Amino acid sequence: MIVRTATTVLLLLAVAGATSAHAGATSETPIPVVAAPDAAADMAQTAYDPLEGFNRGSYAFSMGLDRAVFRPITHGYMAVTPTPVRHRVSAFVYNLGEPSTFVNDVLQGKPKRAGKTTARFAINSTVGVLGLFDVAAGMGIRSHDADFGQTFGRYGVKPGPYLYVPILGPLNFRDGVGRVFDFFTDPIGLAGQGWSSPFGITRLVTQTIDTRANADLAFRALDQAVDPYATARSAYGQHREALIREATGQVQELPDFDDVPATTDPVAAPSETSTPATESATSAPASSEPAPPPAPSEPQ
Amino acid sequence: MTDARPTRRFAQLALVALIGLGVIAQARPALAQGPREPQAEQFVQTRAQRIISVLADKKQSVAQKKATFHQGVDELADVPRITNFVLGKYARTITPDQRQRFAAAFRVYAESVYQNRISDYNGEILKVTGSTVRKPGDVIVNTTISGGQLGQPVQVSWRVLGGGTSWKVVDVQFKGVWLAITQQQDFVSTIDNAGGNIDVLISQLQRDAQRPASR
Repeated sequence: MIVRTATTVLLLLAVAGATSAHAGATSETPIPVVAAPDAAADMAQTAYDPLEGFNRGSYAFSMGLDRAVFRPITHGYMAVTPTPVRHRVSAFVYNLGEPSTFVNDVLQGKPKRAGKTTARFAINSTVGVLGLFDVAAGMGIRSHDADFGQTFGRYGVKPGPYLYVPILGPLNFRDGVGRVFDFFTDPIGLAGQGWSSPFGITRLVTQTIDTRANADLAFRALDQAVDPYATARSAYGQHREALIREATGQVQELPDFDDVPATTDPVAAPSETSTPATESATSAPASSEPAPPPAPSEPQ
Repeated sequence: MTDARPTRRFAQLALVALIGLGVIAQARPALAQGPREPQAEQFVQTRAQRIISVLADKKQSVAQKKATFHQGVDELADVPRITNFVLGKYARTITPDQRQRFAAAFRVYAESVYQNRISDYNGEILKVTGSTVRKPGDVIVNTTISGGQLGQPVQVSWRVLGGGTSWKVVDVQFKGVWLAITQQQDFVSTIDNAGGNIDVLISQLQRDAQRPASR
């Protein structure tokens, strides 16, 4: 019974690790960030979170579990291994994710990216000693991430409601379904006879600790947030949308920095209106509508 | 199983072709991305690198670093504008008295957050890789930070507002996440949950600033 529960937890973590190990590694592809100002940009920043009550409970539970289990293990790992060794572990884990990246590159109709992924996997698995060294990056073939959530997004699927799944962490409906697809289509996972084989379990445990170690700075940042739940939700949403823009080639709709979002919440009834004491908020003509800049060269 | 042979040969060919494609793809120069803004790039290169270098300078005491950081923030960032932005919709309803107390609390809080990470800096090098003008006076400067304790170089983008030789950073992006936008969502959510009471956020910021680093 305990074994089965443990296996279930490990399975869950596998799904988490499968993509987040990739998401956690540094992507070398510059994320398109430029756009003409858009009045509706405020909406894009606000997470759609109809399940906030459940999600907050799930978040609290997961963070408690992290403090009790994952954080001590990770910090122990970080204490006994020098940084260069951890970098080798990260590179090894990342390399095992490349076939899955390839699958999604192909599904997204991006032969150039698929070629890069193949080249990286071939070079790093051989010259790079089973992926311990990222030789390909040194040759200028830099890594990029791809997963099913991104593939869905590339074809226009919207994120849907935000979801904080216990242990798995932040998701939305689109990327949650993507995670399941990632899990069942991962070529390395299939070749390694599933996640319950000795190879599968070893990979899973390594990946989980590596992912948590790479996310340690993010966890520390969350500790210092006033509302860690809202901060994690915002960061996750922005991170995922940036990854999907990487696949679609779209540019980000940033808010005009001096525009204060319209009051959509009746709670904030303007009882006393005060003029901002800081700036007149018109350093640049807000009405000027420059043509959208050319799409970055990366997509396709 | 003689049938397997052509299939395998095809697979090998396909693999070689894909590797070739990947290598060739590298040879093509990146396309130019619209107009650049050299002066904004210069500003980020100089000011941001200076802060990173000061934080990594082992000859300076922690107190010295904090003082330099405090000064460097004003040179690098448009603090009043950011202070207004992170309030989101509540920037409209805040009273002058609250605004004053919020600005002070936010400044102390934000500095304490970054000062807790002083030990994370270790000789990183910042290099501007390009910039894009969103509209006149509103520029994204792209940089790569490498070296120090970083395993791989990281891409960091800076949103700078201004003109001529006078620029200020208003937001910083890493892995797709904009700091000021995230901070705004954090604060707005906190005030929302306090029934719109901005004083709750102010006192929480004052309390958090006293808190030591989590580990």
